[in-house]
This record gives sequence, C-alpha cells and structure tokens, in this order.
Amino acid sequence: MIRLGLRLAVAGGREAITRLALIAIAVAIGVGLLLTTLASINAVNTQNARYAWLETGYIAAGAPGAASVDPVWWSLRADYFHGDRIGRVDVAATGPNAPVPPGIGALPGPGQFYASPALTTLLRHTPPAQLGDRFPGVQIGTIGPAALPAPNSLIIVIGHTVAELSHQGNAQTVTAISTTVPSSCNGDCVLGVGIDASGITLILSIVAAALLFPVLIFIGGATRLSAARREQRFAAMRLVGATPRQVAVLSTVESSVAAVVGVAVGFALFFAFRPVLAGIPFTGDPFFSDDLSLGLGEALVVALGVPVAAAVAARIALRRVNISPLGVSRQVTPRPPRWWRVIPLLAGVVELGYLAYFSDIGDADRHSSTEQALAYLGGVFLIMIGLVVARPWLTMLGSRIMARRAGRAATLIAGRRLADNPQASFRAVSGLVLAVFVGTCALGVITTIVAANGGTPGDSRGSAGTIVDDFRGHPDVDRSARVPLARLTSIPGVTGVVTLHADRDAGNVPGPPPTVVSCVDLARAPALGHCAPGAETVQIEPVYGGAVIDKSSMADTTWPPANVSTAELQRRPIASIAVGTNGSAAAVEQARTVLEATYPMPFTPMTLSEYKAQNDSEMTSYQQLANVVILTSLPIAGCSLAVSVVGGLAERRRPFSLLRLTGTPLTVLRRVVTFEAAVPLLITAVVSAGAGLLAAHLFVHAQLDETVRPPSITYYGLVVAGLLASLGVIASTLPLLRRLTGPEAARNE
Amino acid sequence: MTGAPLVEARTVALSFGPTPALRGVDVAIAPGELLAVMGPSGSGKSTLLHCLAGILVPDSGEIHFAGRRIDNAGENRRSALRREHFGFVFQFGQLVPELTAEENVALPLLLNGVARTEAIGRARDWLDRLDLDGLERRRSGELSGGEAQRVAVARGFVAEPQVLFADEPTGSLDSLTGENVMELLSTAARTHGTTVVLVTHDARVAAYADREIIVRDGRVTTPAWVA
Repeated sequence: MIRLGLRLAVAGGREAITRLALIAIAVAIGVGLLLTTLASINAVNTQNARYAWLETGYIAAGAPGAASVDPVWWSLRADYFHGDRIGRVDVAATGPNAPVPPGIGALPGPGQFYASPALTTLLRHTPPAQLGDRFPGVQIGTIGPAALPAPNSLIIVIGHTVAELSHQGNAQTVTAISTTVPSSCNGDCVLGVGIDASGITLILSIVAAALLFPVLIFIGGATRLSAARREQRFAAMRLVGATPRQVAVLSTVESSVAAVVGVAVGFALFFAFRPVLAGIPFTGDPFFSDDLSLGLGEALVVALGVPVAAAVAARIALRRVNISPLGVSRQVTPRPPRWWRVIPLLAGVVELGYLAYFSDIGDADRHSSTEQALAYLGGVFLIMIGLVVARPWLTMLGSRIMARRAGRAATLIAGRRLADNPQASFRAVSGLVLAVFVGTCALGVITTIVAANGGTPGDSRGSAGTIVDDFRGHPDVDRSARVPLARLTSIPGVTGVVTLHADRDAGNVPGPPPTVVSCVDLARAPALGHCAPGAETVQIEPVYGGAVIDKSSMADTTWPPANVSTAELQRRPIASIAVGTNGSAAAVEQARTVLEATYPMPFTPMTLSEYKAQNDSEMTSYQQLANVVILTSLPIAGCSLAVSVVGGLAERRRPFSLLRLTGTPLTVLRRVVTFEAAVPLLITAVVSAGAGLLAAHLFVHAQLDETVRPPSITYYGLVVAGLLASLGVIASTLPLLRRLTGPEAARNE
Repeated sequence: MTGAPLVEARTVALSFGPTPALRGVDVAIAPGELLAVMGPSGSGKSTLLHCLAGILVPDSGEIHFAGRRIDNAGENRRSALRREHFGFVFQFGQLVPELTAEENVALPLLLNGVARTEAIGRARDWLDRLDLDGLERRRSGELSGGEAQRVAVARGFVAEPQVLFADEPTGSLDSLTGENVMELLSTAARTHGTTVVLVTHDARVAAYADREIIVRDGRVTTPAWVA
C-alpha cells in the first residue's frame, strides 16, 4: 500500500506532479519561515552572549581566575559619534598574566588600542579632531567577532599604564573577564548593555506567539492543499473495495512525500537567504550570518517533525471528512457563527473602559503595580481572546453585507464563499490578528509614553546640536580645569558655551540636583530653555533628554529667577557644561572631543538627542520588536492566505473552468480569488489595529491620563509594506488560475 | 435548410496529440433549429460542440457564427461571444457551489454588467418558468439532480442567447427527470426562437430535436432513417 501511495504521489501524471510541487513549495516556504524564527531566537541569545565580556567589573561571576593571575585595571564607558554608541574599554595590565577579553590576542599596552572593524573604518574616514583625538595611542589590531555583538558594533579597547588608569573615576581591578550574559543579570548588569532576563523572555514569548503559531498554521494549511481532489480519488478507491485504513495509508504517504521534499527545499531556502536575514536589525543591531544558527535538536525536530505532522494532519483531515465510497458531503448552507462570539471582545473593551474612566487604578498610591498589571492584562487578554473568537462572526457579517450588495459577479461569489466558511479564511490570518493587535497596542503605548516624556528626539529645538557634559552625580571628576571656552568657541559651528553651576540653595529636593545659570549664557543654548523676563540668573532643573514639568521639553520651559548674582555664580562649582552648535555633526563631534580631552572619564558628553535616545532605549527596542513582528506577520499571513487560495481553487476547479467555458473572463475569476484573500487580510489588519489602538488609549488614559498618540509614520509604512508583500504573495498564485481552469480542465474532469 | 445558417462548421479537423477527434466535419445549423448531435462515447461529438461554441480552436477548417468566422478570433473575443450570444448547459458540476439557485441563474447577467436587482428579477422569472419557484435560496447541494439541471437550463436561457449548447444535459438524470428537463428546455427554446445544439447519446433525448446528426470516429454521418 505504501508503494502504491508513492506511485500515486509521484507517477500520477502532470496533475499529480503539479499538486506535489504546490504542496512542497508551500511547505518549503513554511519551513523556511519556521527555521528563520528558530534561528532568530538563537541569534538573539548568541548576540546577547557576546555582550558578556562588557559586564566585566559589574558582575562578580566570571571564569574563575587562576591563583597566579595578575589583576587588570578596567574601565567601561559609553562614547558617542553621530548618535551611535561607542563601547570604550580602558585597560591597564598589572602583570604578564592579566586576563584577556575575547576578540583580541593580548591586552593592548600603554599607547596602543584595538578597534572593531566598523570603528576602524570610522577612524580612518573621520578627521581626528572629531573622533580619533579621543582615543590615545596607535591601533595595533582589530577586535575579532567573538567580542562583537554585531558586525557594525563600535568598540575600542585602549591600553594605559596602571598609573594613568588607576586614577580615573570608575576604573577598578578585575581578575577575570565576565562570562555572565545579560539575560542572566536580573538588574545587576551595566545599564543598556544587552537584553536582560525579563526583556529576552518578553521577546521570545512575543516571537513565539506572533510568528511561530502562524507559521505552523501555514505549514498545516499547506499539507492540506488539494485535499478535495485527493478525497475524490480516495472515494473512488473506497468504491472499488479499499478499506478506510488503506485509504488512510495512501493519504499519509502522499502528504509525507510532499512534506519531505518541502522540508529539504525549506532548509535550502533558509541557508540561501541567511546572509540577507542576518542584516535585519531584529534587536536594533544586525546579526552575524553565523548567529542565525540551528541546534541539532531543532534541525531534527523540523526535519522529522514537519513530515510527521503532515502525515498526522492528513489522517485527521481524512477522519473529519469521513470518506465514504460515495465521496464527501455536498455543499449545503453551513451553520453560521453566532452573535455571542462578540461578547468576550466587548467585555474586554468594557473592562479597559471602566479602568480608564471610572476607576482609580492609575493611582500608584492606592494600587500596587501587581494589581495594576493584573487589571490591565485581564482586559488586554480578554480583547485578544475576543478578537480570535469574534473574527469569524465579524467576517461573516462583513461578507454577507458584501454579497448582499454585490453588483458584480466576482464580489458576489467571493462574498458568499467568505460568508459560508468564515472560519477557514480566519484560520489563515489568525496569527495576524494577535500580531497586529499586540504590535499596534504596544506601539500606541510606547509612542504616547515617549511623546509624554518630552517629545521625540529632535522635537525640541536644537536638541541634536546641543552637547552637554554633565558632572552631577560624579563628585570624583576633576573640575579644576578651566572651561576651554576659547577652544570650544573657535570650532566652526559652535554658537555658544553655557556653564551651569551647582545650586547650593536648593537643599535636598527630590530628583536630579538643580543648577543655576546666567541668563546671558542661557540665551546661547535655546535648547535648554529661557529665562523669566528680567532675571539675571535662573534656576534650572535639567532633565537631559526627558520631560521637565507638564510633559514639556527643556526648550519650552521658562525657568524661574535664582537668588544668585552673576558674580556669585562664578564661585560655585560647575555642574554641567552645555555647548550650543548650529547642529552640524562636525561641530558636535569636535566639541565632544575637546570636552572629553579636558574632563576625562568616566562619562562622555552627549547631545540632548543622545540623552533622549538613551532614556528611550528600552522603549525603542520594544518599538523595534513590535515593528518587526508586524512586518513579519503580514507576509506570513499572506503565505497562509495564498495556500488557502490555491486550496480553494483546486476545490472549485470544475465550476470555475465551466464558467470560463461559458465566456467568463479570467479577470472576473482573478477578482474572485483576490477578494477572497484580500478581504479577510484587510478586515483583520484594520480590526486588529483598531482594537490595538483602542486598548492602548484606554491603558494610557487610565495610567497616565493621556490620549493615545497615533504611531509614527514608520508604523504605517511597515503595515503598508507588509500588506503589499502579502498581497504580492497572494498575487503570485493568480497565474495558476489560468492553468487550473483551462478548457482541458473542464473536459478532463 | 432554408436561409443562411446561424452556426456553421466547414471541414473542421482537430486532433489531441496523436489522436484525431474530428476529421473534416461539415455542419450547418439554421436559426431556431434544435439539432441533436448523437454518437457513441469518444466519437467526437462533445469536441464538435466545443468547436462550434468557440471553446476549442480547430487545427483546420472554419467555424462561422451569424455569417462571421470565429475560429480565427482571439480568446478574448471568443469569450465575449460565448458570454453575450451563447448559453450552455452541461452534464453536471456547473453550478457555483457557494451561490444560491437564483444567484447562479443571475450570474451570466451580472457578468454582462446587468444591475443586480434586475439580474435577480430576471433569474426569478426563469426559475418560475422552469417550475423552480420556492427554491431560489437553495444551494446546489440542497437541490436534487433534476432541480440542479433545471437551474442550469434557466441559467443557459437567462441572458437570451442566440444559441444554447447543451452537452448531455440529461446524462446524470433518471429517464423521467431527464424527459422533464428536455421538455422544459425544448419548450423554452421554441418559445424564444433559440437555436439549440444538443449533444446526447440518448435517442429519447434526441427525439426532441428537429434534426439529428451522428458523429462516428470524428466524422458526421446522417442517420440511416433520414436517408
């Protein structure tokens, strides 16, 4: 029976080969996507692991140092160039047996440094006054991939004498290089290095829910392709005496053969496209091609699991249709989904609405964060479940209206088919519902929080061109050096230098310590705000890169007069130095280089935009993730829909080919197919995005008393790009229509 | 036959690969005539119908409709011709399963750009005429074989075609139901002056025709009893 099944699968003529090829192609795409998803998860972990050495000095855990190990002075800090972060590690060995970080053969000696390939290129093409002068010494090599989280990472390891480094603020001795990956840190890691435990769990769960699930649905759909045609043949076999068990074996063999071929092609597709996929900045940084790797276990599970799952799916599908010798049941008006399906969705909206407008859940004094999280998550999950449960009913409603009002044949046929079996169309896009809802809701909340936090980077006037060296919180910094006014003001593009002094009169106010500045100075850096009319000096509470009060940026703030004369001001210690520029990158980087040279270690001057980006980095990474999820889930849904289109075509081959015989233009049939696929896709995208924005609004209203801000233009661009990609996938099935419904199809059926 | 034929095949030949299906067939069908094309299975009668209807293009010979040659027209023109001037009734499987009976009947009108309300109205008229009132909202799977075939006949006539091509229209029906369908089909054709080309191997069905031809091994012969 197995041999007969194999013969039927591969030697059943052109039609059998076409059917086999279609299933194999669909399975191959599904397997390719599945492998990409699994490899992406691995790549996130691998990338994260390569941050481990940068935790040296922060995390106690590391490779245990040998007894004879010589400690190394170690200092890590972030530098910036054109808004990109540079990881700078300063080291000084105390002896020949000092531990060496990965990626380099030996520690650089005093006056030497290693740079990552991307930073090496940057140093080569940038005037030293803007970048190179910050790093003392000569380059003696490049840092290898083992120490680079991403191919474009900007990292430098600079060698010093012990005498030089031991005096710098945050330098410390270490005896081992950290091997603790950020995902194991639980809060004790360097801020902004890698993705911590909760972050990575969140990423993996979202990826699993939003990508893996739809991909599996897609593969399942692919293996059921041409089910109707197979069922006809199996009915004929039953008629001549084949037992249900024999038919089941035939079906299983046929499905498995296509799945095996598809799996092989899927693996080939994955490895062929791996270099391209590695360039997608899933975590904000691209991956090395090798990072997108598969474990042996994963490869085996996919290689064996998909054909086995295809065989099982075929058995289940066969049982469901219960093929008798007279074939499967005929088309009758199916039982429609009922209205009660909309109840969970409404309940979720009502719950969040209640929290937003009738409860005090946002009051942190009265409700713990756990209580708040449970309340919000309850509502959000109700909406998610509600969307899944209600969508068939909503699709049926929409398509019934479409069919009832249809004035054209194509709309009528497509509307009736969708109304008949809304579950089938929904199954193909069910993953999209959750992905678009979660993505839109997250983006709505993030955009609103970022906006409430003082506008987006660049919003406030001159924030990209105003660079600040902030000494507050760093009492060990040597402030005896005179402010290099002449050097700074001689840089082309610098418009003024503002010195902010400590405000001793402020007492112990909560938050960052306030400063005092002269109004003459402040006028040179409008991004920091302006003085109250008539004031000689003003008190500033600088929150660089964040909101000040009333969610406004510093630039929009009028600061209150300070009870300090300009003369008295000069005697107070410097709190920060701000340099206003005309916004040119060269002026900013040159000013940064001068400030770094004057006030070395342990922090770096940053523009207000960079402060803002740093403050929002966590939000930005979630935003990036939401974008990726939305962008990826749409084409996956498109693939699933394409499979269901091809399946639907094969089922209706005869009526469609007879319609063509009677003169129905191919364009009408193309329209039918396009409507059947595009309508659920568009309805799903719109309904899920709408529900996501509504949930986001209710959340931010309850928690922040804000109105949700629409996501940025990037979001709309991604949604449109994703929709176009999925419509492209659907369109790629249309040429099949001509072949499947040609006159010979009607004659030979 | 008096006057110019409405549909005509001149020395039509067509092969499927190495197998000849038609070998120089000549047929002329007058306006309003009901012609039965008979013959055993595999004789080429359905192929002849498909050639006359512009579905297949012969390897050689000519097909004319209303005085114009159609075999050398492009696929789009032949499709338009079929849509606007011809009607079809097949043996089975011709109804779109998702559509109701009235929507199936209205389909050719909708394809010709007729407004939905008018199309459904005309479809209901035809369903009434073929004793199908009350079944307008049923799907194909909810109709008996005879009912489904009458719906197909209604669909064949609804756009008031000049020629109705019927390929074994009663082939899947029992004899009583088949006679009923043929009665309705022939009456409707005569009432509206529609020319009918009827492919059948059933002599009782052929008896409804004005004239019969027999196709055997790809050639047309006249029945012995006519001679």
